[in-house]
Amino acid sequence: MTVSVTPENFTLVSYDAGEIASIIEELVGAIGLPSDLDVSIEVDESTPLGRASVTSISPLVISVESGALEDPKRPRNLSRTGSADVLGRLMFRVRDRLDPAFGDPPADNELTLPQSVAWDAYCVGRLVRLGYIHYDNRQRRLYHFRNRHGFTDSADEAFERLWTADGLSWSDIASLSDNAVGTAA
Amino acid sequence: MRKIFPADLLARDERFVRLTTEQRFMDPRSPGSRSNPRGAMKLTPDRPDAPDAARALMHGIFVGEVQALEGAGRTCWDFETGDGGDETPFALKLDMARQCWDEARHCEISVKLSDWMGTELGEFSESTFLYEAACNPDPVLRLTGVNRALEGLAIDVFNTMKEFGDIAGDPVLEFCEDWMLADEVTHVKMGSDWLRRLTEKDPERRERALEFQRIVDKLFSLGGFRGEDDDSPIRLARRFRELAGFDKEEMDDLAEISREAKADADRMREQLVAEANA
Repeated sequence: MTVSVTPENFTLVSYDAGEIASIIEELVGAIGLPSDLDVSIEVDESTPLGRASVTSISPLVISVESGALEDPKRPRNLSRTGSADVLGRLMFRVRDRLDPAFGDPPADNELTLPQSVAWDAYCVGRLVRLGYIHYDNRQRRLYHFRNRHGFTDSADEAFERLWTADGLSWSDIASLSDNAVGTAA
Repeated sequence: MRKIFPADLLARDERFVRLTTEQRFMDPRSPGSRSNPRGAMKLTPDRPDAPDAARALMHGIFVGEVQALEGAGRTCWDFETGDGGDETPFALKLDMARQCWDEARHCEISVKLSDWMGTELGEFSESTFLYEAACNPDPVLRLTGVNRALEGLAIDVFNTMKEFGDIAGDPVLEFCEDWMLADEVTHVKMGSDWLRRLTEKDPERRERALEFQRIVDKLFSLGGFRGEDDDSPIRLARRFRELAGFDKEEMDDLAEISREAKADADRMREQLVAEANA
């Protein structure tokens, strides 16, 4: 496995490329991604915004804005738990996509917002069970889920299923999301 | 107990990390600049990151409520009771005591809202410039800096968050913000009324107080954070400000101050980026 971080030296933030690489290496093993995976992470340090996305699966390329890895208490400093939360969520999606049993989800940019949030809940639930805890992940993800699926009991039930599950397929996730949206409507 | 209590001695537990104004403004990356390719940053549920943006803003509201409580409490204590220039009338202290009661309730509401939204207390940094505005040695300047400028900003923030809750279908957020908004209108109205009464025969003092308000307003416009442009995250709530004693000219000035603050911030960021890349 190789991990490359761009840029190697940061000027606008106090991030350490080696620390980011070590977080990635740890997550690859914990999440169960192929051990021969080559990972590249591109950090845009010109913005404090927090967008993060997978731009290629083979080789795995992750693009993040610097805010995605930042400690909200200490601007321009890296948060190890926050970085693991963001990167781990994306890497669980990659693991799902590489698993033939998961099915064939749309490309990330073709997902609806509710579908994307539902998949995130499934990913972060598994990440938390691996011990990667960043503040109150569950309530935060529940709030995201409610914003996209309605503030209803049925939306909360769908979230609970996603949060506690393992081995779901894409059609399971899409179905839970679509049903919750439909009930709210 | 000492008079005029400095901000750096405010009691906080280990969860809270304080950020100076300088640290906040010296970040060369800040969003909303001309270099931001995403442009609009208005806080609406349409934004994919809207729930997290609302969580961060709610935490800012929470620490603001704590400091507003501390500030109003100081105004009850820091001045002798009377009608002199360095004194405060007893009725004003009663108003500040009532405001303390409101702010304490807002703290409780904010704590519960933070739980609801998945935010832990202290998850984000705290700036104390709200409290610092409440340390002015002239009680009239405290009223314009805190009650008119900062509580006025609270009107804009609560109105934006109330609309956010309404559109997102979040009944808890919508109701909580609406109730706090009602209190903020009262606090601003107190500031407007006391400014008029205390400076009725002293136009120079009134002008000093209004100038202090303009400075605080510009500082809290935070590079266009609050304004009337399409990309302003927080919108100027003209109707509620009118109820609180602001006239149209003052609100037009405020919108202009916000545009100036945004232009200043853009210039500063471009300079910081150039220095970092040199």
